[in-house]
Order: sequence, then C-alpha cells, then structure tokens
Amino acid sequence: MTDSRVFLSGLWLIVTLELRQRVRGPSWYVLLGLFMLLVGIVTFLLWLATSAWLSGGGGVFSTIIFFVLLLGTLVSPALSGNAVNGDRDAGTLATTQVTLISTGQLVFGKFLAAWITALAFLAAALPFLIFAVVLGEVSLGTITVSVLVLAAELGVIAAIGVGLSGILTRPLFSIVVTYLVVAALSLGTLIAFALLGTATQQQATNVSYQVVSSTFDEATGKQLNIVCSTAQTTTSNVPRFDYYWFFLAANPYVVVADAAPGSFNDAGYPTDLFGQIAVGARSAQVPPKLYTEYNGCDEAATSSYDERGAFSGQAFEQPPTAQETYNSAAPSWFIGLAMHLVLAVAALTWAWRRTQTPTAHLPAGSRIA
Amino acid sequence: MPTARFTAAQISLTRRLRGMPFTTAPGPSAARSSWIEPTGIVVSGVSRSFGSVLAVLDATLTVPAGSVTALIGPNGSGKTTLLLMLATLLTPDAGIIRINGFDPATEPERVRALMGWMPDTLGSWPSLSARAALQTTGRMYRMTREQAAVRADELIRLTDLTDFADRPSRVLSRGQKQRLSLARALVHSPSVLLLDEPASGLDPAARAALRQLLRRLGGDGTAILVSSHVLAELDEMADAAVYLAAGRTASPEQVAAAGASARAWRIRSLDETALDRALAAPGVLGALVMVLGVDKLGTLVQVENEASAAALLHNLVLSGVPVCDFGPAVGNLEHTFLDLTRSTIIDSEARE
Repeated sequence: MTDSRVFLSGLWLIVTLELRQRVRGPSWYVLLGLFMLLVGIVTFLLWLATSAWLSGGGGVFSTIIFFVLLLGTLVSPALSGNAVNGDRDAGTLATTQVTLISTGQLVFGKFLAAWITALAFLAAALPFLIFAVVLGEVSLGTITVSVLVLAAELGVIAAIGVGLSGILTRPLFSIVVTYLVVAALSLGTLIAFALLGTATQQQATNVSYQVVSSTFDEATGKQLNIVCSTAQTTTSNVPRFDYYWFFLAANPYVVVADAAPGSFNDAGYPTDLFGQIAVGARSAQVPPKLYTEYNGCDEAATSSYDERGAFSGQAFEQPPTAQETYNSAAPSWFIGLAMHLVLAVAALTWAWRRTQTPTAHLPAGSRIA
Repeated sequence: MPTARFTAAQISLTRRLRGMPFTTAPGPSAARSSWIEPTGIVVSGVSRSFGSVLAVLDATLTVPAGSVTALIGPNGSGKTTLLLMLATLLTPDAGIIRINGFDPATEPERVRALMGWMPDTLGSWPSLSARAALQTTGRMYRMTREQAAVRADELIRLTDLTDFADRPSRVLSRGQKQRLSLARALVHSPSVLLLDEPASGLDPAARAALRQLLRRLGGDGTAILVSSHVLAELDEMADAAVYLAAGRTASPEQVAAAGASARAWRIRSLDETALDRALAAPGVLGALVMVLGVDKLGTLVQVENEASAAALLHNLVLSGVPVCDFGPAVGNLEHTFLDLTRSTIIDSEARE
C-alpha cells in the first residue's frame, strides 16, 4: 500500500470508530426523529404563514436551512467538544496513540466524524427542503450554494469543537467553551456590531436654505424675486455601523444568507429570508452621509408648474431599493467564511500539536493514559 | 525434609536474582527475526521531571529478549512515568532509551510497531465488544480486516474472554477488562511488552494463566517488563527485577545487599512442642540464627543467610522434629523491596 492509502485507511478507521462510539444507539435516532418532527412542524407553519402555495417556497426553504444551522450549532458542540480529552479521560486515547495511528489521523478523523454527525441533521431535513423546492420559486443557485455553505459552517463548528477538545484538558470545560464560541459567533457578533456601531457616534451636519418670500409668475408658472434665508445648520449624531460590518460578516447565519444568490421581486424586495438578512448586512457597509445640503431656493427657481398645475423640476431623490443596496455592496459571506475557515484550521492545528506524542509536556494535573 | 514451599524453583529463582539481576542471559529463542537482533529494552541514565517534581532520576535498566523483568517500587516512585517513556508517549529529559535498538523519542513509529503496552488505566471503547475492540486495534496496526479478525479470535481464546467477547465492553468486570487490555497489548505480536499492573483485579485462575502466558512469551523471546505491587506474583514469574525508589533504580550492589540481608523464616512442625524443644536445645540454632517468636502460622526465626537456613533445617530434621513447612516468611522480591525502601527512607532522613 502506498503512503496515502495507509493514511486514508487509518483515517477512515478512526472516523468509523468515532461514529460507532458516539452516535450509535437508540438515543441518537430519537434525537434525529425529534429534529425531523420539529422541522416538519416549522415547515407546515411556514407554509401557512407565507402563503407558500401562492408565493413559492423561497421563505420555507431559507428558514429550514437556518433551522438546520441552529440545531446543528446546538448539538454539534456536545458531540464534538470532548472528542480528544474525553478519550483521554476514558483511557482510550493513549492506547490509540501507541498504535501506528498518527496524531494527524486521530485528530482529523475525529473532526470528520463530528462533521458527518452534524451533516446527518442536514440529511434529516432533506425531505422538507425538497418540499420547499417543489413549491417553486427557489433557484438552483440558491439550493446549491446555501446547502454547501451550510455544510461548511457545520464543519467549522465541528472543527472548533474537536480542536478545543484537544487544546483544553477538561471535557466539560471544552464543551462549554465550544458553546461559548458558537454563541459568540451567532449572538456575540450581533451584539458587538450593534454596541460598537451605536457607541461610535459622529456628527452629521445638515445645511438648508429656505425661500423666505417670492412672487409667482402666472404666465411662466415660475417663482420670481426669490428671497432666500441664510444657511440654517442642524446637527445630529449618527452611528457608524459601516466601521463594524465585518462583525456581521462573521455571523454564520449571515454567511449562509449572504452566500445564496439574492432573489428579488419586481419592486426590488427580497423574496426569502436569505435576501432580507443579506440586504440588512450589506446595507451596514454603506457609510452615513455626514454632510447634507438642501437648497429650497434653487429648487424653487428651477421648478415650474404648467397650466394644468403639474409640477416639473428637481424631483426628490429616491432612496435606493433593497436590490440596489444589495448589488452595490461587497459580498460579505466570502470574508465571513474565510474567517471561519481560518478559525477551524487554527483550532485543529493547535489540537494536533497538543496531542502529538511523545510529548514533552503533560497537561497540568493529568495522566496521559 | 524440604517441603512444597522450599522448592527447587524457588532456589533457582533466588540464585538468579542474587547472581545477575540485571543481565539475565537471553532465552532460548531470543533471535526472533533473522535481520534485526532484538536487544530488548535498554534504559540508561533516564530522567524526567514534571515542573519541580522529579519523577524519574537517572534510571538504568536492561530487559534482554526472553526475560521477564519485574519493575518494583513504592507508590509514586516513577514506575508509570518510566513505562510511559518506554511506550513512546513521553519524552525523557535526559538519558538514552532503546527498544530493540530504536529510540522511542525520535522513531516512535518503529518502536510502536514492535512494542505492546498495557496501561494501568483500564480504557476500553465502551460501546464496542471485546472482539470489535481487538479487531479495531489490529487494524490500527495496519492489519487487513481478515488478519485482524483472525488475530482477535486467537487473543479471545488466549485470554479466556470467549463468553464475553460479543458484549459491549462497558459491561465487563474489572478483571475481564484487564484481560481485554492485555489482549490488546498483544494484538501485533510485539517483541517487547510493557505491562503496568497487569495482575490487579484478576482472580487467582486468571493470575495463574497470566503468569503462564508471560513465561511462555518470554520463552518465545519477548522482552517483558512488568510492574506490579503483587510481589508474590512477580516472584513466580519474573527472572530479574528492577527496583525503583524515588525515581532512581537501585544498583545491582544495593539489590544484592538487600537480598542477602537477614530475614525472617517461618517453621511449622506437626509437633510444636518438639520444635520448641529442639530450638531451645544447644547446637541446633547456629550462630547466625535467632528465634523471633511464635504466631498462629508457626515459629519465626531470623536467619542471616541461606546457608544458615539450610544448616538449621538440617539440625531440626536430625533432632527428629517433624518439619512440614520451612521457608522465607516473605518472598524474595518483597524482602528486597522492603529492605531497599527502608534504606531509602533512612538515606533521605540522614540527608536531612
């Protein structure tokens, strides 16, 4: 056998061993069954709530994907967060390390097993995803990209769990820390974004000129002899969310939502949950205008009313539609996913280094058997 | 008349322990493979500390192929640390370790391929049966599925686990787990075997089987290092002993001195009064023998060396005392162990 064949067969041995150890047994199937039941209920309610038989399955599909992400991030730390140190506590780590299984095979195999476990939730949600697709209006791009990015995000959580279990000594502690990391990514990013954004206030200035008096020329429909006011300056504080948009980008829900190709209706509004979140996250990239000027006199001078009383002249600027905001901003999912992958690789690498044998250091207060 | 306790085997063990405790000649079939001369375990000047705690200090020992060597020391003397270093799990701070010529610190994979280790903790994959655990371990040593299955069946028979082989290992008793752990250490037919407390939790029949198995493996040329607290057990299976106290291995001179020091022997007679009378009679006790007292198990006498013990037995038999039991009150290893431990304590007190 060649080296890579040897590596892969050892790796697969660890994966199957992990799966047999951790997820076999009735309780696991009960958990999956409960999950399917929940997703079923959610699908049915969404179907009712979004009138999906008329509007298509976009809303149902995106919500199910989020539901799988939520459940995956809630269950995965418990299953992966003690992969290495739990074995050390059970006395099965060292007996594996003295065989010809390498540390790389051990750590990476445990990660793959944890990932496959999390993907089982995605597989269990498949019937409902298919149902949502059958309802229509879900593009092939959305299906492919959101499922792939969801799978990648579940892998990131699995890698962080296995990594922390190799870095930290106490299984309970590493599970809790994994949950904290998941919470930091899912909720902490939102809190940090909101707090930092609102704490960073800047003064925005608005200067306006108003018409004090004028005469109306009936023949031309224009205003003449316009007397203008002096500049009236008002100031207000505006939050600078645009400095902190990458916090939002690091949120796994935002990554999944933003990665899916946006789907908008004719009025430029997003048709699914992904689009709404993506528009929200991308609009945070737009800096606020710190100086605005309004000149009522110019407007009065250039505008006119024709004989039917119709107004012509400078129209008010239309705010950009959701679709325009979406299209003009940078796709943040790319940055978010890259950050997550760096985190995952770093966690696994650190765990691999800590689990190397023969070791020079013993974790404090532990026997390595 | 010599009795069951004072057997030829015991004498020869004693002689081997006294004569060459560290360099027993290799067994009959020492050369297992034709291309590598198995040199067993060689440890020279090995030290290891954890922070400020010195676990092992300047340990030196050899276990040649074919030898069953006992590793003896009080709790916390560094036995497990030493075994972890031999088992490629821990790097020594200083010193040289060779397992059949390979360095566990720099060539762990080569050492692992030929070394079996049975840890003192009973780890087993709880949801796997004993058979599945052994097959999995075999495959971790790069056996094919078929090879691993055949080997697992062999080991299950060897360690007498047939009745429990297909139950999940979490329901196994301590002794059964211990046997599974031993079987796992033997999966790849290692030529060097490290056993950390293998006899704890075993019933007497399983202990006898273990003893027999280790003697047989030793006879086949395996170098075996056994740590245990059950010194009487080791007395019967080990052909050499290494004493570890406060991380240091005792020197051969220390061991010889401790083994040769005065020790208690126990005498039992069918006729206690005849024995008392004979011991009180002049000329029966030699100059090097002293009566310590009588307890329920017989009469204890302090004997300076084996020659004086033999003379005493000779005199008693000549005096017509019906001796039915005549032997050391504690085993050889225990005697040496206690003596060495005592001298370590005295040493450290003297240093303070």
